[in-house]
Amino acid sequence: MAKLLMKGNEVIAEAAVKAGCRYFFGYPITPQNELVTYMAKRLPEVGGVFLQAESEIAAINMVYGAAGTGARVMTSTSSPGYSLKQEGISYLSGAELPAVICNISRGGPGLGNIQPAQSDYFQATRGGGHGDYYLPVFAPASLQEVADLMGDAFDVADKYRTPVLILADGVLGQMMEPVEFSDKVVEELPKKDWATTGTRGDGGPKIITSLDLDIGGLEAHNSRLKDKFENITKNEIRYEEYEIEDAEYILVAYGSVARIAMSAIKLARKAGIKVGLIRPITLWPYPQEPFIKTRDKVKGYMSVEMSAGQMVEDVRLAVNGHAPVSFYGRNGGVIPTHEEIYEKIVQLSGGVKA
Amino acid sequence: MMPRSRLIIFTGHFGSGKTEISINLALQLRKSFERVAISDLDVINPYFRTRDVADLFNKEDIKLIAPSERLSNADLPIVSSDIYRYISDDSYKLIIDAGGDKDGAISLGQFYNYWKGLNPEVVFVLNANRPNVSTVEGAIKSIESIEQASRLKVTSLINNTNLGSETTSDDIIDGYKISKGISEKLNIPIINTTINKDLINETRDWASINDVLYIERYMKSPWEA
Repeated sequence: MAKLLMKGNEVIAEAAVKAGCRYFFGYPITPQNELVTYMAKRLPEVGGVFLQAESEIAAINMVYGAAGTGARVMTSTSSPGYSLKQEGISYLSGAELPAVICNISRGGPGLGNIQPAQSDYFQATRGGGHGDYYLPVFAPASLQEVADLMGDAFDVADKYRTPVLILADGVLGQMMEPVEFSDKVVEELPKKDWATTGTRGDGGPKIITSLDLDIGGLEAHNSRLKDKFENITKNEIRYEEYEIEDAEYILVAYGSVARIAMSAIKLARKAGIKVGLIRPITLWPYPQEPFIKTRDKVKGYMSVEMSAGQMVEDVRLAVNGHAPVSFYGRNGGVIPTHEEIYEKIVQLSGGVKA
Repeated sequence: MMPRSRLIIFTGHFGSGKTEISINLALQLRKSFERVAISDLDVINPYFRTRDVADLFNKEDIKLIAPSERLSNADLPIVSSDIYRYISDDSYKLIIDAGGDKDGAISLGQFYNYWKGLNPEVVFVLNANRPNVSTVEGAIKSIESIEQASRLKVTSLINNTNLGSETTSDDIIDGYKISKGISEKLNIPIINTTINKDLINETRDWASINDVLYIERYMKSPWEA
């Protein structure tokens, strides 16, 4: 298939359709509106259903309903809307329903602004809603990666019966890049014999619920969920390493900031500073391995984020005291420049050698 | 590229490159004319808009008509009322950069009675590497919906076919063929083909026999130098 020049929000939508998503329930919010608009036009073309709900809360509960029938379903929103969806996401996780949710995040807290931000990291990686749960979080850094990851996101959702989050900041939603959609071979996935599609004298009623009034029963259920989360942690971690072989310092960044960090690293390498990058692609489960293998060799790590300092906590956990961890970030819709990051690298390394 | 009217309205499908072309044309016109104004009528995009290069216009002494700075990042579809002054002041060359598709073109419709007598140049910008406009039929459908929403007739085309940083001369030539097809079907001229300055060497031969305007890119990603 020929390459197209597309906007991030369009790529998410088209890649979802290509992955077999036929149902979308959403509510508009900047900067992800193009995704909703694209789905409104595209889904009827492939026999799917697009519905603009009356609110984010309604949308996520429609997702719950569609997911219960075994259909591939998605919703998308931006930060304040993602907060509104938390109750529903907790229900999806509790009831073990697969679905994909996109958060094209913007400046917060509160209504914040419509500029890009990564300040929803805590919420994304610690479940977000109430109860003991996590959800897999994919954080692409380019539009081609978005195109490649959407199918995997739906597969992970189905395979583990869990909601999955795509977390991308507004830059990725709004920017344009060339993309090519591959015809990915869909993994052999378990049959959805739990879906509520009616019984035909072939067993008892199927019930999808997150309610469990039996105290021991709920604990047993949560323990099964915990095993599932451990399984996901074992199998689904993804990350990219850039120039870390000889690195004395390692930056840690995800999403669009990782690309700005790469530009800064190129500048620093030219100035003779040995610096590399770890780019987590899954934010939960968080990649430990690239830290474990570098933490006794490097002089320090620096987490670079469009937040006031959130992922840096996971970096500290992964480094576990073996090396110093620092932080540089801009927030509230301000995007760090690669020159700024370069200056921080110079400071970290104790200056450029003449 | 010297437009025949003092009022140039850029329309096009979503993501066709109207903003880049508007900015380039404004800078080019300013070299020959004292008074050039550019109006940001984009009520669709939250980022990557004409108003985001306000400093450049300021420096080049080009009048930017856009929502006030205080509101330029508000999530509101604001149309600055300043525009009326520049429509009626015929000492100004006026460039209008509207949002994409028929949704973006809606903001043009309200000015119909103000500019209908001015014989505006209404340009449809085509990037044939965008979804839905990669065929002559698809592009004509887009033109028709924009004409209906804007209450304007498209009078000319610009071929701005590109794949961002991965553009090849083949992309540009394929886009030109589709532009030619639209041009013949609708009986409107192609003003020129716009090509990123980075591709001057690869496209020199083709540019020697076709009308080409090399353009600078102003809407950059944060990791680009």
